[in-house]
Amino acid sequence: MTLLEQTKVPRSATRRRRSPLGSRWTPYLFLAPAALFVLVFQAIPLAQEIFLSFTRTTLLNPTRGRWVGLDNFVRIFGDEDFHRTLVTTFVYVIVCVVGAVGSGLAVALLLNRGFRGRGIARALITVPWAAPGIAVALIATWMLNAQYGIVNRFLNAVGLGVPGGAILDSPKYALPAVLATTIWQLFPFTSVVLLSALQSVPHDLTEAATMDGAGRWATFRVVTWQVIKPVVGLLALLMTIWSLRRFELIWLMTKGGPVGRTETLVIDLYAQAFESKELGSAAAIGMVGVVISLIVITGSRLVARAVAKENP
Amino acid sequence: MRRLRIGLTLRIVAVLVVLGVAAFPLYWMLVTALSSNADLFAERPRLLPDFSQLGVFVEGLGDGKVAGWLLNSLLIAAGTTVLSIGLGIPLGYALSRFSFRGKALLTLVLLFTQMLPEALMVVPLFSLFRRFNLLDSLGGLILANVAFVLPIVALILKGAIDGIPRELEEAARVDGARPLAVLTRVNVPLIAPSIAATAVISFFHAWNEYVFAVTFIFTPEKQPASVGIANFIGELGTPIQTVMAVAFMFTLPAVAFYLFAQKYVVAGMTAGAVKG
Repeated sequence: MTLLEQTKVPRSATRRRRSPLGSRWTPYLFLAPAALFVLVFQAIPLAQEIFLSFTRTTLLNPTRGRWVGLDNFVRIFGDEDFHRTLVTTFVYVIVCVVGAVGSGLAVALLLNRGFRGRGIARALITVPWAAPGIAVALIATWMLNAQYGIVNRFLNAVGLGVPGGAILDSPKYALPAVLATTIWQLFPFTSVVLLSALQSVPHDLTEAATMDGAGRWATFRVVTWQVIKPVVGLLALLMTIWSLRRFELIWLMTKGGPVGRTETLVIDLYAQAFESKELGSAAAIGMVGVVISLIVITGSRLVARAVAKENP
Repeated sequence: MRRLRIGLTLRIVAVLVVLGVAAFPLYWMLVTALSSNADLFAERPRLLPDFSQLGVFVEGLGDGKVAGWLLNSLLIAAGTTVLSIGLGIPLGYALSRFSFRGKALLTLVLLFTQMLPEALMVVPLFSLFRRFNLLDSLGGLILANVAFVLPIVALILKGAIDGIPRELEEAARVDGARPLAVLTRVNVPLIAPSIAATAVISFFHAWNEYVFAVTFIFTPEKQPASVGIANFIGELGTPIQTVMAVAFMFTLPAVAFYLFAQKYVVAGMTAGAVKG
């Protein structure tokens, strides 16, 4: 009896003193400041924005909104300009994803073979990724300048010049130019990530495949691709989300023009809020973007889970 | 043997082309900054920088306006870095080491915020800031930037702390250290490389940030360089050489730091995005 008591008391005492977790409130003390921050500056504003999307509110009188239910959504989905915005957004996102991941893979394969100066090459290609979006928009606009831009001078010299030369004012060439600039900025990121994935491909596996008489393409498909597939999937997801929220590069290059040809959801949302001063429909457009992102994320996780189930 | 050499030559050419594509726009920024008017508008443009024109950099900084922009950017970026790391370390630690009610939800929220565009949040943050008198202040801008960079910082640091064996903490605990002391004395030194990477990420997130800065700052003297440089686009009053010189000075620190921290930054960005 006494023995039991003796063993019992010190046990709970040591537990309290040496508990790795401190008290049960310790985790909340650690996370409270940051969580409060996210709550105040992200969660509450987002809730407010969701509320706004159901109101008619103007920028001139932002606190006096009128509840209109689903009106904003009905209106934007009935608007042909918005249909064009949706199409532009999809084109922009898909070309960005395919372009950035594809070019990244090509560059990664190129740099995967050892050669002298690879370290320097690897560092140099990250320059576009590191450059601020503002600076990229500025230099791209200058390079694409109708009269003095180096791109036009080059195109004219090889006889491919755009009539009039103003690429960013051309309904036909503005989106390709914005896309090329975006992909130029993204490919360093995808290629560096894919390069490190390629370097994790076991050497003996590729060697074994070659020994078995597999050609380069077959080796890539059977061995390399299987290893890098999850990374490609992750990059595709990241590129999608980043492209859905990209603002300053497009805004500063074209402001969504000419005639809306480069207007993605985020550009449309900003123009609605600050040029048409319609905060309600701006919020509704924003919600469409958020829902698309959520669908993409959920979809990609479902796919990843199904794939993992198939080949455990 | 012959085929091998052709293959090798092709590969070298391809690598050089890629490097050229990657580096050319920034090179062109420098060449434009360092071109005389005559060269700039000549029939055949000058392809090499003219170093006799280096004075353009001094001119760019000349009236103190640009120096003021850069200083504002520096203050905003430094404030954002300190605050996001100060909040991110304890949050990352809590997510890594403790199990608590609401953990899954919190992680989900942190991932979710990364898909919210700044342009979407600009309106509600504007009204929030107006209520708390945070408009037209560098401090307000810092808070907005931290809100956007904190989730990725916390997730990267959580990943880094995950990699530290718990046994290392045990030793400190046996010596009677309290949880906060364990974090600052044991974990923080060990995750220093990740902290450096998150510092680079948050510093240049704020350095490059444009949407909040252009919307929340009204006084020209408080404007950061991103807004100042963006205003050059489509404006004709300033000589293009000055514009490019300023943009080059704005770009160089970002590129230099990324080159330096590239490995950690890329690893962190992907890790932060994969988790959860």
